[in-house]
Amino acid sequence: MLKLSNLQFDFGNRDPLFSRVNLEFQAGEFALVCGPTGSGKSTFLRCLNGLSPHFTGGNLAGRIEIDSTDVTGWQPHQLADLVGFVNQQPEGAFVTDTVLEELVYGMEQLGVAETEMKSRLEKLAANLHLTELLDRELTELSGGQQQRVAIAAALSAGQRILVLDEPTSALDPKAAADIIALLHRLATEEGITVLLAEHRLERALPSVDSMVIVHGDGSVTKQLPTEAIREFRLVPPVVELSKRLGLTPPCLTAQDERLKTAVVPAFHASSIEQPKDFVGQAALQLDSISVRYGDSLAVDDVTLSVERGEVLALMGENGSGKTSLLWAIQGSGTRSGGTLTTPWGDTAPMTSEERLCVATLVPQKASDLLFLPTVSAELQDSDRFAKAPETTTASLFQRFAGRVDPSLHPRDLSAGQQLALVLAIQLAKGAGILLLDEPTRGLDYTAKRALAGIITELRDQGKAVIVATHDIEFAAQIATDVVVLESGRVKFAGTPAQVFSVNGLLASEVSQALQVDGLFSMEQLS
Amino acid sequence: MRRLSEFAKAKVHPGSWWALGLSISILAGQSTNLWFVSSLIGLCVGLILVFRSTAPWARSLPFYLLLASIFVLTRIVFRVIFNGDPNSSDVALSLPHFNLPLGLGQQLSLFGSISWSTLSAATLDGLRLAAIILAVAMSNTLSNPRRLLKSTPAALYEVASAISVAINLAPQLIDSLQRVRRAKGLRGRNSGSSALTSIIIPALEDTLDRSLQLAASMDARGFGRTNRLSMRRQWTNRLVSLGSAIGLAIGAYLLVTASSPALPVVVLTLSLAGLILVIRLTSKRNLKSRFNRQKFGSADLAIFAVCAMSFALVMLLSNQMVGF
Repeated sequence: MLKLSNLQFDFGNRDPLFSRVNLEFQAGEFALVCGPTGSGKSTFLRCLNGLSPHFTGGNLAGRIEIDSTDVTGWQPHQLADLVGFVNQQPEGAFVTDTVLEELVYGMEQLGVAETEMKSRLEKLAANLHLTELLDRELTELSGGQQQRVAIAAALSAGQRILVLDEPTSALDPKAAADIIALLHRLATEEGITVLLAEHRLERALPSVDSMVIVHGDGSVTKQLPTEAIREFRLVPPVVELSKRLGLTPPCLTAQDERLKTAVVPAFHASSIEQPKDFVGQAALQLDSISVRYGDSLAVDDVTLSVERGEVLALMGENGSGKTSLLWAIQGSGTRSGGTLTTPWGDTAPMTSEERLCVATLVPQKASDLLFLPTVSAELQDSDRFAKAPETTTASLFQRFAGRVDPSLHPRDLSAGQQLALVLAIQLAKGAGILLLDEPTRGLDYTAKRALAGIITELRDQGKAVIVATHDIEFAAQIATDVVVLESGRVKFAGTPAQVFSVNGLLASEVSQALQVDGLFSMEQLS
Repeated sequence: MRRLSEFAKAKVHPGSWWALGLSISILAGQSTNLWFVSSLIGLCVGLILVFRSTAPWARSLPFYLLLASIFVLTRIVFRVIFNGDPNSSDVALSLPHFNLPLGLGQQLSLFGSISWSTLSAATLDGLRLAAIILAVAMSNTLSNPRRLLKSTPAALYEVASAISVAINLAPQLIDSLQRVRRAKGLRGRNSGSSALTSIIIPALEDTLDRSLQLAASMDARGFGRTNRLSMRRQWTNRLVSLGSAIGLAIGAYLLVTASSPALPVVVLTLSLAGLILVIRLTSKRNLKSRFNRQKFGSADLAIFAVCAMSFALVMLLSNQMVGF
């Protein structure tokens, strides 16, 4: 179906991103493409539909064959009827306004006759459960629905190869699982070759046929998932867990029976605890906070409190009010009712500079906060603005991210480094409350572990940390307390053990795998 | 209201709204009757209120109304400042009169008493512009620009797409600006000299990124695929289009200068026919097909009939020297 021979890609004079790549994909194969951030995964995928090098620049050498036709060097529009492509953010890639128009767009471009379009459209909409949505505006769909439309649009012209670059990164766990199940079905039932890039391997690993690893050192390999996972250093929690328990070959899914019968060593009652010195020292008290936008109530009567040294995980589906609540706590977001108390007073009437000393927020797109041309300029500007001694921010940054070339442009940093830089800048004024909105989006396992380390360190310093996240494994690793929101209301508030355990609201992978009472995170084993 | 807007969306071709808007602006531009122009404005606003949908491009009426009133007010204010008429009999407003010497024996006269006729002429001028603005607003609000794009001939598709991407750029830029400004607030900065670098540059970067993403997505889905035309075909197309363009220019010149309207009308018709031919010919280059292309229906015919009738009426009235 798809054959790559001796493929090489480089951006001008630098070392090739990958070289001597020889891979073959069969019809109906579901391949998971992974690799550390910045390894060239996205470029590799974009080579398959011509966006690299035609849109990204760079030089491509070697040979790409689709169904024995040499398509090397073809433009994306020439490949449009062969390869469907789906992006991270569907809303940015939509060309039209309604679901129907979006689905027929590709067919219109390729000159498919109108009767043919109609029959294909019906089949596609039925197959991807979009029939009821056809007349809806794209902007009013949920993230999962949007991504389903994007997949349908990428297949509407009869493409047999589907390439997806982290399509689930903005979705909540349930919507993400639905998308993976859909892709699995397309591969097995329709015989479509699916190449999926995904950071959270645990989502896709159980259903894929093969694993392509873009190592970042120039090599790209393809193996069976069981074999690949043995050497790969970025492994999902279940694999790490089974390695820790001495199971070989490692288990790929939490449903593996071997995990349930494995001998579990003694474990701690919790993965992380509030330091003793800070117990009872309130940092933040919310009393029936509500946030209203026009007619809709985003946050409805939320009451909660956070002490110093506590890490609160704010969980809930997309649209449950997590982001609105964080902005309301920070003080610059809308707050329609309720009271907020911190040892330093209410944040709402403060100036934005005063807030930085109390509650500091890192938004979903952390890079929005960076605007200077080099890392060192950002660090110096931050010290000057915070009236802090020189290198205050720089030393924070170094502690968070290790050594980073200070002459780099902030946008050239990896997602993890950007996050570390923004964290260092936001903490330069010594705020006591840190608010993080979906910080693990786009981070690989190594970067997530580093972020968990930073959060633990801040906890030791007595900061109160609130993390809004979908990422159950991450939350289980770092939280001392959990609040689950639903439609703006507190659905559940309790300890991680209550929420993430086998019978909890959001059972973690580890809980599902071992089914041992009170064991929900790997951090407890040590 | 919701039902009416859906009726308009389903039954009225976007081109018809533009035709109606165009005829209203022509009528407004030609009219010298205050009441007639005012009723045209009322018609536009009424149409918008009745047929508008809930889509983003349909929410701009307050903005257009503001723009229109600014035009009317500036017209009146300018007349009051510069067109004082000391000898008029029907004084509406008596203001002190100033003479500013401009040198070389010239002087600029400011304020003074203003007559009713000056005021009403200024109001009429302003209202005419306002009517044109609101006519455009009406067409723009009631017809989705992207749906109009679907009805353009295939030869103009690339140009039309560029326009539609450009139309989308503005709201995106505003969205990015708001997000970056909020982010800047998070860093404790409110305003200052660094506004250019700290807000506009990230917002532009963001908008540019998104536009590139859109372009990549369009390309990946087949936008820009063409059939190859033979060299002879290409040259014929080029010659005919050049000829028609020159013909249009000559025709327009003749229309202004020639004493008899016969020749320019013939030249203009021929050139227009040439242009239409070229568009048809180059459309063959495109292999695009359209799904559910909107066809002209009875509602559109009715709109065109109204346009034609109003033109006829206006011609009739102006021949009889009745101020309309």
